[in-house]
Amino acid sequence: MLEARDIAVSYGLHEALNGVSLTVDRGEIVVMLGANGAGKSTLLKALTGICEGSVSGDCFLCGQTVTGLKPDLIVEAGLALVPEGRGIFPDLSVAENLTLGAYPARARAVEKETLARVLELFPKLQDRRSQIAGTMSGGEQQMVAIGRAMMSNPDILLLDEPSLGLSPILCGELFRALHKIKETGMGVLLVEQNARQSLAIADRGYILENGRITGAGKADALANDPAVQRAYLGGAQA
Amino acid sequence: MDIVISGLLLGGAYALVAMGLNLQYGVARIMNLANGEVLVLGGLAAFWAFVSFGLSPLLTLFLIAPLAFAGSWAIYALFLRPLVKRAKSRGQLEVDTILATFGMSFFFVGLMVSLQAEYFTYSFLAWPISLLGSTVAANRLVAALVAAAIAAALYLWLNRSRSGLAVRAVAVSPGSARLVGIDVGKVSALAFSLGGMVTALGGCLISTFVTLDASAGVLFTMKALIIVIMGGVGDIRGAIIAALILGLVETAVATIVDPGLTLVAAYAIFLAVLLFRPQGLFGRRSA
Repeated sequence: MLEARDIAVSYGLHEALNGVSLTVDRGEIVVMLGANGAGKSTLLKALTGICEGSVSGDCFLCGQTVTGLKPDLIVEAGLALVPEGRGIFPDLSVAENLTLGAYPARARAVEKETLARVLELFPKLQDRRSQIAGTMSGGEQQMVAIGRAMMSNPDILLLDEPSLGLSPILCGELFRALHKIKETGMGVLLVEQNARQSLAIADRGYILENGRITGAGKADALANDPAVQRAYLGGAQA
Repeated sequence: MDIVISGLLLGGAYALVAMGLNLQYGVARIMNLANGEVLVLGGLAAFWAFVSFGLSPLLTLFLIAPLAFAGSWAIYALFLRPLVKRAKSRGQLEVDTILATFGMSFFFVGLMVSLQAEYFTYSFLAWPISLLGSTVAANRLVAALVAAAIAAALYLWLNRSRSGLAVRAVAVSPGSARLVGIDVGKVSALAFSLGGMVTALGGCLISTFVTLDASAGVLFTMKALIIVIMGGVGDIRGAIIAALILGLVETAVATIVDPGLTLVAAYAIFLAVLLFRPQGLFGRRSA
């Protein structure tokens, strides 16, 4: 499981995160809700070692510390990120993108099985194997990005606003796919603004406001919390 | 026909050198202006081995490869990695490495002048052979064939192997490459060293049919630059086609117009590419 303790990030004098602690277990979906600028992306960058600000705090993966490791070693330790904007290799084919996902040593032994699982989850990628990834639609590129991250055989999968820019139908498909990923035993940490759909599939959630965690709890409890409803669910349900 | 054959043979050697610079610039993001000097060093090694020990340049290749690889790795680790670490943007890294490698090229020229101030003249396979009805020097044909073999091996490695795929991933997007567990620093060093190795091998081959001297490097740097820009940065296939075009045009101009005008012709192509297809022959327009 993933455990972050007291993560703080600052960019120069600007403090982006302060005292953020969280846990994500294998086989559960945890959603981090927050408005634009709350520090959600910064948190995922800090956890995966690609944050350009100064980071403090501790991060453990299955009891082993990954604080301050280089990003490629963090992937090797079992933490995979689907970044904002997807971060696929646009000039390479879908198959090459997926193969690159299995670059870490931890992924090689089970590469065939993982690939079969990814293609079962996203059957469209099977037909598009030789297509250049950058020429696909946004939703298809998101599948490539998630598939590629799964290929590294991670313990915990981190996703930065995967629903951004997707149509409601594609969003629904995406969240159903995440639910299936969780059932394979992977832990999922999802950073989202789309509170309604993400809380519907999540087990637990955190609320991030101005760089601090201001709320935490079971997903259904959060969905019924009047404050959360007002801030993130448009208040219409209340 | 003579022009086509000679041009393609010359282009074959150019292709190898341009692949070297392409690896260094397209993957490691180092615009190496000392590329031509590394080429001439390869030629000097071939000359020296031939004159001192009577060693065939084709055997010297096997000595040059590990030495050039190790030497390039050392240059990257000692002089270039600090620049890579310091650079905040790709633009800054380009400016810094252009200056650093420009200085390095003078160091190499000075080194080579002190080792061998005269022309590197030796005669290897200098007999004529007939090829598809035209006559070419055997050394040109051998050099082009060996260059093609090395280029093919490199191409297959880049396109068929996992480590080659990692190199291409870094060329496409270093930011994403680290997310799939690729050590971008290590792959960059590898690409730079392979680039240096391939360039030195190209120099060894070219020295069998072109008389080099210590200061000839800059010409080859310019030609490699023209080929890389024309073929598209990071595009190996484009570099090969561009190298063959350059070889053909240079030979055609030298035979039909005047040998003194080959460089003019090369720059004319370069200008045309920059004006009309700045992304290279096969490059996609960046969004």
